[in-house]
Amino acid sequence: MAATSTLPPAQPPRRRNYGSLLGYLMVAPPLLIMIFLIFYPAAQATVRTLFVENAQTGASAFSFARYSTFLNNKIAVSNLAFTLAITIATVFFLFIICFPLAIYLRFSTSRIASAVQVLALFPLFVPGIILAFALIRFMGNRGTVDTLLSLLGIKGFVTPYLRPSGIVIGLVWEGIPFTTLVLTAGLRQVDNALIESARDVGADSLTIFRKILLPLVKRPALIVFCLNFIGVFGSYTIPYLLGPAAPQMLGVYMQQTYGDYQDKPGAETLAVISFLFCAVIGLLYVRTVVRQRGER
Amino acid sequence: MATTLTPALTVTQPRQRIAAQNRRQELFGVFALIVLVFLILGPISSVFLWAFAERWRYPSLIPTTWGLSYWEETFNRADIRDALPLSIGLALTVTALSALICLPAAYAFARLRFRGRQFLLLSFLATNAFPRFGLYVSIAVVFFRLNLVGTIPGVILIQLVNTLLLMIWIPTSAFQGVDRALEEAALDVGASRWRVFLQITLPQVLPSLAAAVLLTLVSTFYEAQGALLIGLPNVRTLPIIMYQLINNAVVVQYGAIVSLVMWLPSLLLLIVAQRFLRGGAISAGFGV
Repeated sequence: MAATSTLPPAQPPRRRNYGSLLGYLMVAPPLLIMIFLIFYPAAQATVRTLFVENAQTGASAFSFARYSTFLNNKIAVSNLAFTLAITIATVFFLFIICFPLAIYLRFSTSRIASAVQVLALFPLFVPGIILAFALIRFMGNRGTVDTLLSLLGIKGFVTPYLRPSGIVIGLVWEGIPFTTLVLTAGLRQVDNALIESARDVGADSLTIFRKILLPLVKRPALIVFCLNFIGVFGSYTIPYLLGPAAPQMLGVYMQQTYGDYQDKPGAETLAVISFLFCAVIGLLYVRTVVRQRGER
Repeated sequence: MATTLTPALTVTQPRQRIAAQNRRQELFGVFALIVLVFLILGPISSVFLWAFAERWRYPSLIPTTWGLSYWEETFNRADIRDALPLSIGLALTVTALSALICLPAAYAFARLRFRGRQFLLLSFLATNAFPRFGLYVSIAVVFFRLNLVGTIPGVILIQLVNTLLLMIWIPTSAFQGVDRALEEAALDVGASRWRVFLQITLPQVLPSLAAAVLLTLVSTFYEAQGALLIGLPNVRTLPIIMYQLINNAVVVQYGAIVSLVMWLPSLLLLIVAQRFLRGGAISAGFGV
């Protein structure tokens, strides 16, 4: 693969003989844990959704029965559509908010910029469960926003809490630091001298953005897109605590199916469906990171 | 605005143009700052206010009566009292285990040569490539058959999943960045390999290793979803108690006080973090 070109120069020969075996021994424990805790459960779940056990004979046969059950369940399908809609909305808003922030942070060296950076990274240090509590107090009925508006004499505040918009607000809040961080880091790869010389020959801001910044930030942006997409798709805490009772996001629906209804095969099917929807994005993520490292 | 300028003109008046651009830029900065202060600090401040509120009647912008009486009440709750040491113990155990497993692997990835090294290192990206809750459900189904549901080992294992990428990638890039010439020089003047590792290699990677350990410790302390699926009904960590406090929010102060107490480790990290977050250590942990 392309990435092997990044290997550092060969080690001194004296280590080489036993280094290989020692290397495998040292990386084996985390690899085994990953295989046991990620690949094995995921593969098992996938296989078990395809081979359905016959209740009378006990024999397993290949069948799409579990998937057709899913597709015939109106609630399940609408929850899947809801999850996709929330995911797309969240990823969209994250880019709309964080791209300008990242460009600003890349070019400004003022005090205001450092304050903006601290604030944009702050949510990194606020765990999801505390965020949920804080947002309920902030944007819920009789919360801070409600109070402020009523003090200003503005009536008719509709709380996003327990509405789809509540989920999006919470997830965007959580995603801002990571998105801004990676986009800013991507933009920092651009040399100042390059931009100045482009300006000197008369390029306007838009041209500089399109011709110089955008191509260089494409890969970080792709990584951010993938991780945000998968992150939102597999989220639970924020949609559970801030979202409506129906429709539900897949995470919440899975937990309900698994815990409250004690329907393990049903929950497993939902899990595999979430894998399917994230598979392409997950591969895209891995491929992008591999390529990025290969070029470093 | 600059589109109409010819190159010659641009060169003659660069200062004005840059000044105008800076002004526009900082105008955006001020706007962003105001919005962020309101939307980022606003929600957090309401947690602080509620924790010290005796009574808070709508529509008052701040608590109507201040007081600390709910703090005692909160910590007299048996569930919260049990959850705090459990959460701390779990976070410490998971972090220690993760360090024990991952740090030697990180060293091997950075310094030893073996076939498939790069591929194996990249394979840890898989921990990021699955939608989290779906993965947890499929793990829960496996754990159920192994009788690990509702047990502490089960919770430790599921929390270990999240730590792998961070605990391997950050230290690996740190070990790769070590100055080899310095090590060779020490070896040449007769220092033992062990001594070189302790006195030359380790000091160079220590900040990154500390960052990885701290990030793991704090994120494990807050891990709620895996613990919720695997831990219940027997193992109740602090974040799981928070779910209940939010859902049956009869007394808002309980949730606010637990939030504040729970938040302490993260605040400490925030203060320590400024040191080593600059080096891009965090991005490595995200697999970027």
